[in-house]
Amino acid sequence: MILLSLLVSLPAWSPAAFPQQEEAPPRGRAEAWRLDEVRTLDGETLEDVTILVRDGVIERMGQAVVVPAGARVHDLRGRDMVATPPLVLPHADFLVSDRRGRGNHSQYVAADSVWLGEDWAETLLEEGILVVGVDPPGSGLPGRTSVLLVDPEQRRRPEPLVADLHLVVTVTTNAAAVKLVRQALEQGEKAIEKEEKARKEWEKARREWEEKQKAKEAEQGSGKEGDGGQGGEQGSGGAAAGGDGDGAAEEEAPPEEFEPPEIAPSLRAVVEWLRQERVARVQIGSAADWLHWRDVLGERALPYELVLRHPLGTNLVEVVDDLAAAAVRVDVPARISFLPYTRIRVNLPAELAAAGVERLVLSPPSLDLRGVRDWRMAVAEVVAEGLDPEVALRAVTVEPAASLGQEELVAPLAVGGPATFTIWEGDPLDPLARARFVVHSGEVVYDRAAAEASETLR
Amino acid sequence: MNPLLLTFVLFAGPVPASLPVQEPPAGEEAEEAAPAAEEAAEAPVEEAAESAEESPWLAVVGGDVHTVTRGVIPDGTVLCRDGRIFAVGRDVRIPEGARVLRVDGMQVYPGLVAADSRGFVRGRGRDAVDSFDPFSLQVDLALTGGLTTVFGSGMVVKLTRGSLDGYAVRVNPFVTLNVSPTSPGGRRSARERFGKARDFLRELSDWQLRKDLGEDVGEAPEPEGVDEDALALLRGEKTARFNANDLKDLIAICEFLEEYPMKSVVYGGREAWIVAGRLGRAGVRMVIHARDKRWADPDLNRPSGWSIENARILWEHGVEFAIVPAQASVSTMGIMGRDLMTLPIEADFAIRGGLPQEAALEAITLDAAKVLGVDHRLGSIEPGKDADLVICDGDLFHYRTFVQWTVVNGRVVYDKQERPYFAHVRPRPEIAPEEALQALEEALSGDGDEAAVSTEDESGPGEGAAGGADGEADDEAEHGAEAERTAGSGS
Repeated sequence: MILLSLLVSLPAWSPAAFPQQEEAPPRGRAEAWRLDEVRTLDGETLEDVTILVRDGVIERMGQAVVVPAGARVHDLRGRDMVATPPLVLPHADFLVSDRRGRGNHSQYVAADSVWLGEDWAETLLEEGILVVGVDPPGSGLPGRTSVLLVDPEQRRRPEPLVADLHLVVTVTTNAAAVKLVRQALEQGEKAIEKEEKARKEWEKARREWEEKQKAKEAEQGSGKEGDGGQGGEQGSGGAAAGGDGDGAAEEEAPPEEFEPPEIAPSLRAVVEWLRQERVARVQIGSAADWLHWRDVLGERALPYELVLRHPLGTNLVEVVDDLAAAAVRVDVPARISFLPYTRIRVNLPAELAAAGVERLVLSPPSLDLRGVRDWRMAVAEVVAEGLDPEVALRAVTVEPAASLGQEELVAPLAVGGPATFTIWEGDPLDPLARARFVVHSGEVVYDRAAAEASETLR
Repeated sequence: MNPLLLTFVLFAGPVPASLPVQEPPAGEEAEEAAPAAEEAAEAPVEEAAESAEESPWLAVVGGDVHTVTRGVIPDGTVLCRDGRIFAVGRDVRIPEGARVLRVDGMQVYPGLVAADSRGFVRGRGRDAVDSFDPFSLQVDLALTGGLTTVFGSGMVVKLTRGSLDGYAVRVNPFVTLNVSPTSPGGRRSARERFGKARDFLRELSDWQLRKDLGEDVGEAPEPEGVDEDALALLRGEKTARFNANDLKDLIAICEFLEEYPMKSVVYGGREAWIVAGRLGRAGVRMVIHARDKRWADPDLNRPSGWSIENARILWEHGVEFAIVPAQASVSTMGIMGRDLMTLPIEADFAIRGGLPQEAALEAITLDAAKVLGVDHRLGSIEPGKDADLVICDGDLFHYRTFVQWTVVNGRVVYDKQERPYFAHVRPRPEIAPEEALQALEEALSGDGDEAAVSTEDESGPGEGAAGGADGEADDEAEHGAEAERTAGSGS
């Protein structure tokens, strides 16, 4: 009986019963990655996982994923392969060729100063890095940051993902440095004030013109109704291009479209920041810098992220609670520091996390290429001395991506999300585990085996 | 318990007769002190703070309080509120929820003031503000030596470790003048400027007089071509600073001041002991080194060179002075007393030369504050003044003494056991919680309270006397618990 009913219902299960499948657009070839572990960085670690990728998106992910026929399968199981979102390097100063001193150079964008060598991309992909942020050179208000995709095709002057992102502000406990920032903010506020004043004047002129026009229309109307002959004459006189004075007044042109007063190029980014249209990366190096920054900021509500650039001996640990209370993203070098003039170890990233900094970015211990190569080793040290591994991994992947506005490209691994990940030959926090693949929207942009083979051939 | 009663304070500290008791400050100082004293008498109703950490009150309890102006109060209490001293005495009532710092057996002094310093701020005015690092090593080390206020780069600066709040006390207190006979041009120029300024002030005074007499005198005269600084100095709005060590320069300064009286400070004064009487009559204040060694010149047919008695002789002639070390910075070179880390040791050399210890204390507290024109806020432990305190484990002038806590603006900014510099040297013995509880219970016991209630109206505002509570056991137990929690911990 059951069998019979199944047979009867069979047509209902035929493909024709799923019209959505018929209507679905043709899709690209699926690709399946079979891995020992996936750290989604959304609080989950999945084991023995298949990631099914189609059209640059993760279509399915889990243990029981059916791989469609014809899909390309990368079976990496049994080799401790772990996938995570790719690393995002928040600062890549070594890609910048220009040198600039302290001053207000906020008209410059970092991308203009970038000069890419021959193997820059391979160097970064080897470290599992897919996206880099570039800071403008100099201090004070050195300019605006840019974002690059690590793409071996790009050489010399690249096409950035984002050319113009944050305004960089460096604050140091130094009269000239603080004065520079303070003055830029004050000048920016004056520029805004000037524009608002000009706008109000324009609006007033416009209103007056409109009122005049209305009065005239009313006058014409009442003239037509009350004193038809005269009004008509006047009206017709006006309409006939104004042979007398009244007619000329009627033809008074409306105020031109509002043109805001020109803002000096070095102030535009500051003005955008003051208008909360742009985020600033505020770089500080000591606890006193933080106090001076708060002093400069005063009552202003400006969007900013903090970038800590401190020497090995740092007193920033004294203000971690204040930094946490500011509830901003904090970018801190992944390194164990010391209390000034002592050998007392300070794990500043762990202290920040413990104090409640939710958006933590771990940057390399130094901003040169060596720092990039030591990055994961430094992160491992910080984790070994107390930082939560999940927090650390997020702080080198999705958090810097969010800081660089690339949260849609580098995000926690999830169904429907971008198929952008790095596959590591082991624990990604183990400095000895190397990146095996870097996948960008489903495309393999780095395959270590292939890279090594081509290197051997070369 | 009625919180009103709780917040009344009792000021009944006997002042030992053996120590000189100074009169309350006169003139503008008294004007400054009066409202604060009144405030102490009319103790406001305070809600108990949620925790001692958040409390605006800090009570430093159990130490010998060296007030500078009113002698020593043994086993006294200094009660501070919102960064100012609220009450000082032996049986000061401690408000509920106050932070209590037990300093039994220790010596409590006002924060030390350095009338000259290097390395704390750079630049002038706003630049100096922007360059102050309240976390710097200089600030830390100066606090280990009990320094709470320094003058440098034209600013009087509080060492508000870890904070920029309330650190700038005064900007540009001095106008520097040079009337040295070795610089005849400068001397002539100074006389011309001051002559013009004095003529203008006479003209203005004459105009005012005629106006007051009802004459038609027109508009007030304008100070055209008159030096603003000279005018401010003659009006007493600013202080003249002279840098002079040699006798001839000091005499020239006296002559100048006799001609143009004004508030003045002389930095240097190596040979001041030779003309101390004349300096005293000229009303000069001085900033001196206590061991500014320079031998007498045998070619001169007069006294010359330095004297270890310099400070004593100046003091005897009524000259107020501040003592600073030869090196006005903070260093760790290890030579005790040669820099700001050990300012009291520098003052020791003046004591060795015969200066009374009380005067030496004034020279690094109240008189230094007077030199800088900030004595209405700093330099002594009195109600209304800034809560800047130094708590030592012995006599401030003893070479073995360590500063245990330094308080600036009512905030403990240095605790020897919490900071790495001297924690390992003779660690401070912890005060047992039981002892602290017992001592506090004694302080809170009702013995003196009833008397205090009855004398509430009689007590002068300056004494900060006030009534006590009925002393409910519950509340006292709470106080005891609070004391137990915070006893011996400065933070």
